[in-house]
Amino acid sequence: MPVIDIIFRVDEICKKYDKYDVDKHREIGTSGDDAFSRLFTSIDSDIEAVLRKAEMASTEKNRAAAVAMNAEVRRTKARLAEDVVKLQKLAVKKIKGLTREERESRCDLVIALADRLQAVPDGNEHGAKQANNEWGGASAPNKNIKFDMSEEDMDDGFFQQTEESSQFRQEYEMRKKKQDEGLDVISEGLDALKNLARDMNEELDKQVPLMEEMETKVDGATSDLKNTNVRLKKQLVQMRSSRNFCIDIVLLCVILGIVSYIYNALN
Amino acid sequence: MSSDPDKMMSKADKMTKLTLTRWSADWRGATELYEQAANGFRASNKYEKAKVALEKASKGQEMQASPWDAAKHMESAAALAQKLSIWNEVVDFYRKASELYVECGRAQPASDALGKAARALEDVKPDDAIQLYTDACEILEEDGRDQMAFDLYRACANVYIKLEKFTDAATFFLRLGVAADKCDATNSQCKAYLSAIILYLYAHDLQQAEKCYNDCSQIDAFLKSDQSRSASRLLTAYNEGDIEEIKKVASSSTVSNLDHMIIKLARKLPTGDVTAIQMNTNDDLDEDDLT
Repeated sequence: MPVIDIIFRVDEICKKYDKYDVDKHREIGTSGDDAFSRLFTSIDSDIEAVLRKAEMASTEKNRAAAVAMNAEVRRTKARLAEDVVKLQKLAVKKIKGLTREERESRCDLVIALADRLQAVPDGNEHGAKQANNEWGGASAPNKNIKFDMSEEDMDDGFFQQTEESSQFRQEYEMRKKKQDEGLDVISEGLDALKNLARDMNEELDKQVPLMEEMETKVDGATSDLKNTNVRLKKQLVQMRSSRNFCIDIVLLCVILGIVSYIYNALN
Repeated sequence: MSSDPDKMMSKADKMTKLTLTRWSADWRGATELYEQAANGFRASNKYEKAKVALEKASKGQEMQASPWDAAKHMESAAALAQKLSIWNEVVDFYRKASELYVECGRAQPASDALGKAARALEDVKPDDAIQLYTDACEILEEDGRDQMAFDLYRACANVYIKLEKFTDAATFFLRLGVAADKCDATNSQCKAYLSAIILYLYAHDLQQAEKCYNDCSQIDAFLKSDQSRSASRLLTAYNEGDIEEIKKVASSSTVSNLDHMIIKLARKLPTGDVTAIQMNTNDDLDEDDLT
């Protein structure tokens, strides 16, 4: 095996088992500012994590998820802000083996850390910008409103408000008027319908007894007709049977006549 | 079976006249001849003779105790008389027909006959027409068929309106209301009351109109109806002298649903004196207040 390979492999193994190197740690540990640097490194890594999360939130398409992420970022920022305060206290502490310059540099480091933390985007600025556009600056976060300045701001922003919202109001009034006109037309139509329906109702009520009377009369007439039909049928049957009988008799007579004529002729 | 109606008539006359050789009149044959003669006359447009023939045919039917046929012939005779414009005969014939119908026990045709008579006389003799309408309504009411009387009441009121007797017309509308009340025809009732109020207003009689409105408001059905609301709006508009409001109410759909004569009157409504009425009432109040 080439030497280079061996060296690389050894390095890797050392890195892997670095955490078990007690001496190395003791070396780092005896630098004296363990609390500060530990807290510093942890806050640093947390800030990195928050930054990453904030980036993810800004690229998130789903607005609900984005809002949730931003809320979490803000929560983490608040927690880290408290930690930064603690760090500041630690930085000011006088520790054995620490020079004055080092202490000042630590304070600067802490301030830089705090700035980094504040700079993490958490969705607030974006929302505030939007609100500004819509309402012309009237709904900026409360702590930014100072009375004297806001009057000037109000003048410029106010004008914009009346232009847009007055248009909106005009349109609303026009639509409302159109709706009212339409409803008036409908109500007139309904009135006419109601009157017509009532008159029809009364007319039908008038017709009801007439129809009943007509029904009874027609019933009587049908039964009369049925009776007459039956009797007529009986009569016809009777007549025809008697007619057949007469025909029989007539034919008999004719035959007798023929027979007697032949008898006479023979004699 | 002679085809000449005159001959038929004379033959039928002979059949009905009692002579030494004929002890009882042959009404059946005579009636038949009369009817045929009447048809013949009608075909040849000899209305006077046809009318006479129908009269006699009707008499024949009556003698045969068939009032229905008699009444029918009478009506035809009356129609011919109407064509000839012999008005008193029209009245007489229709009245006779109506009596015959009543004899049959059929009230509807009886009042129809009187109604036809009244309609024929509306332009010529309006007072007689009104009398006929009233009689027709009475016949129907006696028989309990008030609903059929509505049209007659309305026609009668129209005649009065044409004669410009507005209070009489309003009285008839109130009678219509009574009839409608009997048969629970609330819509007709409310319309009748509103028409009466409008008539009183048209006759400049605001007090009477208000009294009428108060009387009618005693009736539940009217009180809750659209018509009473329109009436109250109209009366308040009159009291305040607000011509715009009067016009608006008069052209509303409630008023436009009444009889067309009433609609015409309503459209003409503020008959000039509105502000005068208002000022009068105000003066009265002031005097009362001072004293």
